[in-house]
Amino acid sequence: MKDSTFGFLVALPGTLYIAALVAFPLGLLFWLSFVRFDFYNPIVFVGLLNYVRVIEDRVFWIALQNTIVYATGVTLVTTCLGILMAAAVSRISRFSTFFRTLLILPWAVPLVVSGLVWRWMLDPGVGIYNYLLISSGLVGNVVNIFGDPTLAMITCVIADSWTRIPFTFILVLAGIQSIPVDLYEAARVDGANMLHSFRNITLPLSQKSILTATLFNSMFSFRTIDVIWSMTRGGPGKSTYVLGIDLVDYLIMYTNLGVTAALGVIMLILVALYTTVMIYYLLRR
Amino acid sequence: MSSASKSNLIIRIIENKFTPYLVTIIFSIFMISPIILMLFNSFKSAAEAFAWPPTIFPINPTLETYVRVFNSAVPLTMRNSVILSIITTLIVLAIALPTAYALSKYPFRGSKLILLFYLASRIVPPVSLLVPFYIMLSILKLIDTHLGLILVYTYITLPIIIWIIKGFFDEFPKDLIDSALVDGCTRLGAFFRIVLPTSAVGVAASGIITFLWSWNEFLFPMIFTTSNHVAPLTTGVFEFVGDEVIEWNSLSAVGIFASLPAIIFFIFAQKYIIAGLTKGALKL
Repeated sequence: MKDSTFGFLVALPGTLYIAALVAFPLGLLFWLSFVRFDFYNPIVFVGLLNYVRVIEDRVFWIALQNTIVYATGVTLVTTCLGILMAAAVSRISRFSTFFRTLLILPWAVPLVVSGLVWRWMLDPGVGIYNYLLISSGLVGNVVNIFGDPTLAMITCVIADSWTRIPFTFILVLAGIQSIPVDLYEAARVDGANMLHSFRNITLPLSQKSILTATLFNSMFSFRTIDVIWSMTRGGPGKSTYVLGIDLVDYLIMYTNLGVTAALGVIMLILVALYTTVMIYYLLRR
Repeated sequence: MSSASKSNLIIRIIENKFTPYLVTIIFSIFMISPIILMLFNSFKSAAEAFAWPPTIFPINPTLETYVRVFNSAVPLTMRNSVILSIITTLIVLAIALPTAYALSKYPFRGSKLILLFYLASRIVPPVSLLVPFYIMLSILKLIDTHLGLILVYTYITLPIIIWIIKGFFDEFPKDLIDSALVDGCTRLGAFFRIVLPTSAVGVAASGIITFLWSWNEFLFPMIFTTSNHVAPLTTGVFEFVGDEVIEWNSLSAVGIFASLPAIIFFIFAQKYIIAGLTKGALKL
């Protein structure tokens, strides 16, 4: 048997399996978005009607706006803090393994649990962080963080970032550690201070890991609902209501699955667009 | 102070060799405190968990929350999580290992395209596929079954695990396989006798990553399960979240259980998990 034939035959089962579980549902999704489907009545082709119904809903536009704010917020916080942590840890010689382990542990916490823990720590009735805010004199009275639209959004961003920072930190740390030490030596001989070498050596040379981390963070935060679901479930009002939650609500409330599928297609296109814009913007800089 | 001397001071602070330690310690506190506080909270009595001002350490540590948790549906959902994650991991490895071997060592026409397709499938938001999967599983009568969830879990993990394992196989010298073939080994025999044993660490890391991703999955089980006989721990944490009252101390205990496998793996196999994840990520 030729080597390439062997390779093809061995890779075939896995590829068919993935095709059945990704390509087929994807095709089904697109087809559904153009029909009325509810398990009981005959399937009717409705053209773009499902899309029109999604777009005409005012909530969709609120959710879209929230999703962009949320995803951008999470990406910014995660990337900035991840880089800072990596830069700090890369200069540490003692206990570096210990600190690295501590810093990646939040990764172990499932996102739903992360949402619940932060909700508890900031709870106006029992939350330790809320109490610390008051006793430190930063705020005068108990703040109901989850009653305030802006604070609720910020809290969701922090809770989500908290579990995503370790991945960024690890990637960027690996990037920084692969930079030859000679470069820093040479820069110092030339009179550059640490800030200069951070900007001109560290950042550009670990660009690949930073970009990768940013890409993953923006892609995942755009579509993941776990933290928001366990924290605010979209509230107060609709201030943290994101597209993913909108889709789940459609699935639960509407018998016509075509509309939900249309929202699914829109989300797919938006994620692809958002990610492309993100990459383009980052690469251009 | 002039702005020049001010920025000099800032640079002196940054360049001080104790500064990174200070920064790292502050970050460590931020990152670790939620987990520690959750752990402490799980040992509080109900009265203390609802007291204001809140305490950090339990004043009268008690195991009552753990008794309560063990008498709830949580052990059942934990069993489900174990079943779902282990079976998913076995299926994913069984499919990914030969596929990655073929794609890495015996490329054929279109193999690059297949790899690209795996990668592209990662861009598709799982939430978009909620509806098609709902219909597929309904027709197959797999809603609220372990098998249905396992199918979904493999769809989420398999493509990227193939990439990660391929990354490990790529590092394996092809010459070694070829010399084994000269010695009369078959191509599959070389895979089982030489490639697999030498890549054991990478395979183990990929297995752990699959296990953890399955363990953490929330969206699909939330929609596709109705009974505690199937639901995993990520939905089980809501056991103590009522409409009126949230039992924070019991919830903390469940949160610890939900995080435990990953914490253990991160402490003992950190190096390998990180190698696997960065390998998969940097291939992009």
